[in-house]
Amino acid sequence: MRKRVQRRPFDTFKYILRKVILLLLAVIVAFPLLYMFSSSFFSPKDFNNLRLFTVTPRWSNYAKALGHGYFGSFIFNSIGTSVLAALIRTCVVVLAAFAFTHLRFKGKNLILGALVLTLFVPQEAILYQNYKTVATLGMLNTWAGIIATSLFSAAQMLLLMGSFVSHGMQAYDAARIDGASDIRYIWDVLLPLSGPAVLTVMIQTLITTFNNYLWPLLVTNRPRSRTIQVGITMLGFSESGETGAQMAALVMVTVPFLVIMALAKKRIETALISK
Amino acid sequence: MRKLTLIFIIIAMAITAPLFAAGGKEKAETAKVTIWHSAQGANATVFEEIAQTFNDTIGKDKGIEIEAIYQGKANDVLTSVNAASGTGNLPDIAMMDATAATDMNHSQYLVTVDKLGIDTSDILACGISSYTSENGLLALPFNASALLYYYNKTLYDSLGVNPPKTLDDMVEVMKKTGTKDRAAFAGVPATFELTTLIGAQNGLSYMLNNRNGHDGAATEVLFGKEGTYKTFLEKWKAVYDTGFYSPITSGVTAEFTSGRCAAMLASSSNLASVINSVSGEFEVGVAKVPMVNEKATGGTVISGGALFSFTDSPAVKTVLEYMISPDVQAKWSEATGYVPVSTKAYETEAYKAFLEKNPQYKVAIESLLDSNPGLANVWVPSAYSVYYSFQSNIADVLNGKDIDAAVSDMVAIVEGAIASYSAQNN
Amino acid sequence: MKNASNLIHRTKPYLFVAPAVLLAALFCWFPALKGFLESFLTVNQAGKVLGFAGLGNYRILFSDKAFLSSLKITGLFIVLFVPANTFLTLLAASLTRRKSRHSSVPEYIFFSPVAISLSAYSLLFKELFRGKSSVINRILGLNSGWITEPAGAMVTVVILGVFLDFGIDYILLMCAFRSTDRNVIEAARMDGAGGWRLFFDMELPLIRETVLVTVFLALKDAILISAPIIILTEGGPFRSTETIMFYYYVEAFKSGNRAVQNSLASLVLSLAACAMAVYNIRRRRQP
Repeated sequence: MRKRVQRRPFDTFKYILRKVILLLLAVIVAFPLLYMFSSSFFSPKDFNNLRLFTVTPRWSNYAKALGHGYFGSFIFNSIGTSVLAALIRTCVVVLAAFAFTHLRFKGKNLILGALVLTLFVPQEAILYQNYKTVATLGMLNTWAGIIATSLFSAAQMLLLMGSFVSHGMQAYDAARIDGASDIRYIWDVLLPLSGPAVLTVMIQTLITTFNNYLWPLLVTNRPRSRTIQVGITMLGFSESGETGAQMAALVMVTVPFLVIMALAKKRIETALISK
Repeated sequence: MRKLTLIFIIIAMAITAPLFAAGGKEKAETAKVTIWHSAQGANATVFEEIAQTFNDTIGKDKGIEIEAIYQGKANDVLTSVNAASGTGNLPDIAMMDATAATDMNHSQYLVTVDKLGIDTSDILACGISSYTSENGLLALPFNASALLYYYNKTLYDSLGVNPPKTLDDMVEVMKKTGTKDRAAFAGVPATFELTTLIGAQNGLSYMLNNRNGHDGAATEVLFGKEGTYKTFLEKWKAVYDTGFYSPITSGVTAEFTSGRCAAMLASSSNLASVINSVSGEFEVGVAKVPMVNEKATGGTVISGGALFSFTDSPAVKTVLEYMISPDVQAKWSEATGYVPVSTKAYETEAYKAFLEKNPQYKVAIESLLDSNPGLANVWVPSAYSVYYSFQSNIADVLNGKDIDAAVSDMVAIVEGAIASYSAQNN
Repeated sequence: MKNASNLIHRTKPYLFVAPAVLLAALFCWFPALKGFLESFLTVNQAGKVLGFAGLGNYRILFSDKAFLSSLKITGLFIVLFVPANTFLTLLAASLTRRKSRHSSVPEYIFFSPVAISLSAYSLLFKELFRGKSSVINRILGLNSGWITEPAGAMVTVVILGVFLDFGIDYILLMCAFRSTDRNVIEAARMDGAGGWRLFFDMELPLIRETVLVTVFLALKDAILISAPIIILTEGGPFRSTETIMFYYYVEAFKSGNRAVQNSLASLVLSLAACAMAVYNIRRRRQP
């Protein structure tokens, strides 16, 4: 930066060009989000006139969205299922990753190989068979059904295994000599040591489960059990010309995640940036 | 350690809680009747009102409660019903349209109207025949509708043109009503429109054999060898060649209500919401569908939704009887534009007065009464897919594909759907 | 007593991996295997096996024009989406690869798509690109029909796809840039390398691995795209955005065509397995 004084005119031009491209790209990326906020105050006329913002905000859009009989339960189901999935998946993956990295047992490589095999199977290709299984188990319209297929991830297990191995075995051997149980060791030593990796697993699961659309669409057919991602496409506001209320609903769904994202960004970066 | 155990217990409880909640809520005293429906927007509000009225009156007396659940468009209801079949999650009643008939005709879970023992003597005859298969009356007609020609009456009047009677007329009208910024007509026909545009030809034409699949599954495609589809395509190409035709497949109503296109074909069930959306910007006119040519005298096929039931219980019977009662039918019709299926509804003073005030609503009724009662919806497997195939096929022709080649393509597609279905379901 | 504790000790590892194995078996191995086996059987709509079909189901699949067209459309989507996505996320990441006083604002903006869900973006795009009279046309001064025209609908789906993957790809690439060893780059700079050359010859190759990951993620998303299409275009207009997985969704859940559903699922499975194998072999070859 100190060198800026010595810049030749061509460098200055390149510098400005870069800033202009950056600005343009930022505006484009932010545009749908900004439009969502702005149009959540629109009247039907504003939408017809293709406005970008309005000076006469219609707060009633928010009242209308909140007044939708099931909006509350959509949100509740979404938060409930994604938090639950994140917790359970983290437990499942931590336990498995620990066993594969710290314990010795017969058939270890075989089991590990079989689990890694799941990476090769896209969920989309087994959609119907999984639907049948969940239906047979009587889990349609339940949280269990919504999260059933997202409770294990081989990719995340491998991620944690990498992190666990990197801390070495000395701490584990010491803990064993002290007579601490494996669970105790995981809870007190391993998890704090692998904080960023575990957090990444949780946040990833939280976001993917929350954003899931197709699976919850298939396994729920009662409004009380639907998640917000399915619910917001079924509010019926657009069909009756109330696009503003639709946008208000989108805003209310998005804002909490913008906050989480802003708070988690630093930590995700720490987990991803290796020095 | 204890903390971890606690977390596990909380998780276990949280998973099972909704499980129990779903199963344990049914109260013994009130019989709950769930209806999956596809009424959107304003129609949804009315439908829920109708359900609420039942719950507050008859339902209260007899201990029955209707739960109306929106499942998306008519076809999404079928998707949900198919998915729920055999899982114990079927609703008691589902509102679906003709596209559901093939699957429902084969469904082991369907309870026919005959089995429920509902008196249907007051129901429109064409409505009954449109849902009758070799297995009896599959579903109770609930909302009848007819395809209509919607036009911008203010514009037509100012130009001194009348809605067209044939597609040749339509071409002439379009030349007058179209401009650079305004399409004279928008929308691409699909199965629904074609049942009328093909069905009315030569007095009465079927697209498939066995009365379009009603008297036993269709085994043969007729619209190809009888030349009816070809006749339609030739006329439609002329429509396209005016240069004022907008071949869009979604958002047609929005184009019409905002005045960006002067006419469209749509179901009479949209009448109320179209008038609502136009909100007085111009006068909405409706007319009978223009016929393919002078020899096409069959009229318009009845369409609309019917109530399919999956539970054989007195409560379901009571609800269904309520749904087709004259008062409910009149109220539903006034609010939506659907034609009442109960002939008694026409006799109520309220409905007569309503028609007097809103003459547009009469067109659909007259259109249905003037039609050949033999006209029937097409019952074809993979209906959703066939629907989109028709639109693509028509688009191919508009883009210059040879008409004969297009016809044989389309015949092959429908034959393929029929063959594939019968191989898997016999 | 000792025996019992020994038993616990020996079964403990299995208890630890049991939940993972159970879930993988129930929701991955079993359904994949079942689908694969059923692709050689005739199964009716209700799921009852009627007989052996041999390759009959695959023959039905490949004789369906809608399937062949969905292959072409998915191919087109990949060709448009993967380069666009890679280029734009790489551009954003490279523009913000060095931390500076004002870089956090664009960083948040580029990361923000992570917080906006698939259905929210799809619904937003449905409004923004709704047709001739749309906000996008007004801003850009265009007269495109967007989702009402085949070409426009494809472009809209591609743009939507880029937005959906933008946040996560950006953060991966940006962090990869910042993970590279500054000393190496500074040394190159001292040697007189600068600007474009420094970027293309030094910095980009250093994060090759991450770029490859994002390209593979993009490729996977492109092959499997269905949900945005269900909300945005329903495969239309004129089946112009009907991708393989949208076609699968229609046949499996709307038409109940088990022949097509099982054979297509098995095909996608094999394809995914091949892609993963290629990827892993490539990775292993690299030092």
